Amino acid sequence: MARDLFLMVEHLIEVLSYLPIQRAAIACVLCGTSCSLLSVFVVLMKMPLIGVSMSHAAFAGAVLGMLLDFNPFLSGLILCLLVAGILGPLADRTDMAPENVLGLLFSFLMGLAFLGMGILTRTKAGALNLMWGSLLSLSGMDIVVLTLITSVLVLFVFLFFKEIRSVLFNRRLAGASGVPERLIYYALLFLTGGVVSSNLATVGGLLIFALLVQPGATALQLTYNLKHFFLISAGAGIGACVSGLILSYIFDLPSGASVVLMATTIFAIAYIFSPKRHPLKFRKRNLSHENDSR
Amino acid sequence: MSESMIELQRITVRRGKRWLLEEINLAVSRNEFVGIIGPNGAGKTTLLNVIAGLERFEGTLRLFGHRETWSRSREARLRVGYVPQLFDIDRSFPILSLEAVMTGAIGRLGLFRSPGRREKEKATYLMQMMRVDHLADRPLGQLSGGERQKVSLARALLQQPEILLLDEPTVNLDIAVQKEVLNLIHEIHKQENLTILFVTHDFNMLPAGMRRAVLLNHGKTVFDGDINTALSGDVLSRLFQYPLETFERNGKRFISYG
Repeated sequence: MARDLFLMVEHLIEVLSYLPIQRAAIACVLCGTSCSLLSVFVVLMKMPLIGVSMSHAAFAGAVLGMLLDFNPFLSGLILCLLVAGILGPLADRTDMAPENVLGLLFSFLMGLAFLGMGILTRTKAGALNLMWGSLLSLSGMDIVVLTLITSVLVLFVFLFFKEIRSVLFNRRLAGASGVPERLIYYALLFLTGGVVSSNLATVGGLLIFALLVQPGATALQLTYNLKHFFLISAGAGIGACVSGLILSYIFDLPSGASVVLMATTIFAIAYIFSPKRHPLKFRKRNLSHENDSR
Repeated sequence: MSESMIELQRITVRRGKRWLLEEINLAVSRNEFVGIIGPNGAGKTTLLNVIAGLERFEGTLRLFGHRETWSRSREARLRVGYVPQLFDIDRSFPILSLEAVMTGAIGRLGLFRSPGRREKEKATYLMQMMRVDHLADRPLGQLSGGERQKVSLARALLQQPEILLLDEPTVNLDIAVQKEVLNLIHEIHKQENLTILFVTHDFNMLPAGMRRAVLLNHGKTVFDGDINTALSGDVLSRLFQYPLETFERNGKRFISYG
């Protein structure tokens, strides 16, 4: 048993010397980081539809790009950013709840994507790849774009942490008290567009929705501290991506599906052992911790 | 004449074909404590939102002598504190009570500066003043409605405002807690030398120290003057379109709903 395990680890290390596998591993860490950081906002601002809306925007953009002989990634990114640019002011100006605006945009973009698919005469494989993702066929440019967008997101969270906390707590109150809430909120929407479109090639437009919700939902089970919340979410996201990739390699499974199923498993474990669901135990442990530190 | 802190001239707010506020005129001086009173849908919260910079409007608004638009400067926002009605927050939401109070300092600190020991000490002092300092390390979502409103008051005070806007801060609280919050508001007015606008629809739950009442109905001002004159059966019956009587006990006037 131990020998089998040792051989498997040795084999995995050996496999890591291949360039496509290296790229897939790096993409997993970057995808896990970027999606899980965003999932903190998605979960705490209760906007789960933003993931599907953005991924359909990217998908519709990519299909349109293919129709017009334009780079599908770029056209996907442009449409994502356009949706981000419309969503904030539309929700603010029309007094509509952001979820309703997202619902409208989502259905419109889905219609647009399917219209494009219907008109597209040549092979649709390129467009469909963006829905399912393909970790093992990533290019160097995909990794560069993912690194860039993940770095911007990490920097954004790091630099504006206190403003983010204020906006997450109550956006209107933050605005009334002089916090640039619209700047933070709109920046988040644009970053979501960037993260979703740059991750289409990794987990794909359909499955990214799970990574934009589950790491945040996992952290929500475990902590009342926002800094820990970001860290736990990132850990859950990276853990799901990396373990999903390993499992997909060992058992020859589709990588995107393995990643999402691992994210669900991590959430289920967090939910079962959540100290928030057992407040008495949580308080006892906190009290004993406080006594120890005195 | 004392300095005018808030000046509204012909302020109108429309939503579609509906008028939420119609040509409201109001001037409030420094350190005044004004009650904005009226039935549901009278436009009280909308009026407060206009002053807080949360609502687009037509007309002229001056704060501290300067003309302001809806999207006003950060400096103008810092000088106006806002306590909303009790709002829902998830029990699991990752924010402790002290952290919630500390969010009041974020606008004043500006970008790229973190709250330090000074802000934490001031926040702790304000939580003591509001008698919720023992709850500092408790998740905000696990506090009772009254406790959350006290945290909300402490948060608004940490902003160091000159004007404090209170939007039905006692609504949905039980009577004893309402009384406690009202006493705290009276204390704040005395100690902090603030100009306060207090929105309510409950005449029996007015804080001590309030001398002036502005009665609103259907988005229009129907009375602006001394609180004791406002608390007359005739005025209130007309406002609420319901027969109301007033009576005095221990020097305070109360409303009987019949």
